[in-house]
Amino acid sequence: MNLIEVTNLRKIYRKGAVSIPALRGVSVGIAGGEFISIVGRSGSGKSTLLNLIGGLDTATSGSIAVRGSDLSRMDSGGLAEHRRRTVGMVFQSFNLISHKSALENVALALTFGGVPRGERRARATALLRRVGLGQRLDHTPSELSGGEAQRVALARALANDPEVLLLDEPTGNLDSATAREIIDLIRDLNRDAGLTAIMVTHEQDIAREISTRVIELLDGRVVGSGREEAS
Amino acid sequence: MNLLDMVGLGFDNLRRTKLRTALTTLGVVIGIGALTSMISFGSGMQKNITETFAENDLFTSLFVTAADVEEIARADPDRVQEFLEEPPAPLNDETVDAIRGVEGVELAFPELRFPVRIQVDGDETRTLLRALPATMASYKPFSETTYGEFFDSDESQEVVLRWETLERLGIIVEEEPSGIAERDTTGKKRSVHPDSIIGTPIVIISSALDVSKIPRNPMQVLSLAGDMPVKEVATELIIGGIMKQASAFGSNTWNAGILVPMNTAREIPSLGFSSVWEILRRQGRGDTYASIYVRVDDVRHVQTARDSLESMGLNVFSIADQLEEIKRGFLIMDAVLGAVGTIALVVAALGIINTMVMSILERRREIGVMKAIGGSENDIKMIFVVEAGTIGLAGALLGLVLGWVVTRIANFVANSYLLPDDAPFINFFHFPVWLIFGAVAFSVVVSLAAGLYPAVRAARVDPVTALRHD
Repeated sequence: MNLIEVTNLRKIYRKGAVSIPALRGVSVGIAGGEFISIVGRSGSGKSTLLNLIGGLDTATSGSIAVRGSDLSRMDSGGLAEHRRRTVGMVFQSFNLISHKSALENVALALTFGGVPRGERRARATALLRRVGLGQRLDHTPSELSGGEAQRVALARALANDPEVLLLDEPTGNLDSATAREIIDLIRDLNRDAGLTAIMVTHEQDIAREISTRVIELLDGRVVGSGREEAS
Repeated sequence: MNLLDMVGLGFDNLRRTKLRTALTTLGVVIGIGALTSMISFGSGMQKNITETFAENDLFTSLFVTAADVEEIARADPDRVQEFLEEPPAPLNDETVDAIRGVEGVELAFPELRFPVRIQVDGDETRTLLRALPATMASYKPFSETTYGEFFDSDESQEVVLRWETLERLGIIVEEEPSGIAERDTTGKKRSVHPDSIIGTPIVIISSALDVSKIPRNPMQVLSLAGDMPVKEVATELIIGGIMKQASAFGSNTWNAGILVPMNTAREIPSLGFSSVWEILRRQGRGDTYASIYVRVDDVRHVQTARDSLESMGLNVFSIADQLEEIKRGFLIMDAVLGAVGTIALVVAALGIINTMVMSILERRREIGVMKAIGGSENDIKMIFVVEAGTIGLAGALLGLVLGWVVTRIANFVANSYLLPDDAPFINFFHFPVWLIFGAVAFSVVVSLAAGLYPAVRAARVDPVTALRHD
């Protein structure tokens, strides 16, 4: 059984009388431990699909089953629990809380995860060390480089031991050398920790290089789903 | 996420926007300050009056007057026949004795008072003389004679003067006399040590019927104008004690300038009444007294004693009844003052809503992030509610301090400039415990209510749009 089973997923955004279809019936199965890259042009529905799998948004129709439980049947509390426990999200613009230090940003996720106050600092420190930021614990996002900020975001995504890492253009704001480091870090997490990774990117080369499978979207439909051999 | 975490996150946000938080809180501070100072004024007035009642033992005091056929006819016409067939006891010594026998009655004595002129050391003033039994020495306010002592027997030749009466005579009694009183502009007033007044003779000049002047020929009455059949009699007694200064809320129950032992007072010739009203009331009733004072041993026995007295056909009046009326009046005053204060708090609540709605706009991305990393709608809602509650709590505590300070200042100003210089200090404001806790609870509840709408809005922030990269 697939870890994630997306079936005939549709998402239509409505702005007044205008309907904008973002996904027009996407079906895809993702097994545990896979590294999926979702590629496609701007507006093809990549981020929408990722947000739906992440439980940040709800589908217009169709279903997303994660370990058999259907996200479309969950209430807001259930979706919050899904975001807290099952998935960890990383965004192109890092989305760190600007007035909190690296440590506090990670600890905040632990707070929502119900980790006792006394354990948070040690766990957040361990997570930041794991992404190579052991020396930057008390720096705020503005004092960190783009690569460092994205590492903090990764540490935060890993805080509550998710099964799936959802990455929305994680290297989009980084120079190629830093991007490489982040990609390597994600690949290590996928390989060594067995974390399922779903990454939205428009860099097809990287996608093909590191993914176990590349899903290509065009106008809200899957147009290609090829298994690639990771290098 | 537990409550402590929510409080932590709420505080964190308030700390970040110190000025805005301070200004919003200031609104609540002013609201609570206004509310508490206004209610404390109503409460202070009520306390002062209640205390005066207690001080004068008015809660256990009953006043018996003779039943009046007119009053009965007005209240219950069916009782008139009964009243005429079996007239109730007149107010005389026998009735006083009968009242003393009623269960729960601790003491009863007739009201004996009449206007007199008094002379001390050559100075003269007019006042009301009241006869009291020596047993009253153990009851408030007589147990608290400031200087000297209350008379120890009903036949004593010593009298007790009110502080104010001496003042009218131009004598200011002070522990540390300055010789000449400060307020003295005429040179007549002098301040003296109590010791130099206690033991001083006092001349009481009363009016009595002059039998020799009563015309034999009834037709002669018409020519009596200016020459009533009245003579003045002087009685010399000794000043034995001085009552303390009455507060501005002092009841007039014991309002007499000079208190004289019961039997001594009976010896003083008088016309036996102090008002025309009394003459009319007593006409043809065989009453000796206008009224009888009754003291009940315990507040709990007041009602049964009262019922017994009424069954004797007596009219019973209790000042405590009036207190209930007064309290109702204060309740209305409190409500009006409270409403004014509440308006201030409502304005403050709008300030909270405004601040928090603005805060949501600024923190959209942050709210989105919190949702993305697992914050539920309830978590977000609670963070905002805690922020509002914190503003309410801090505002209430500081508001109480503000209210207290303002009322202290108002009290000082009122005592310094509005009341006469020699009036005892009055605390116009009172902060009962219920007001303190009530104000805090009210402020927190209003603030939480104000925070609810922003909190719901914050919880509904769509993370997808909030996190969309710029």
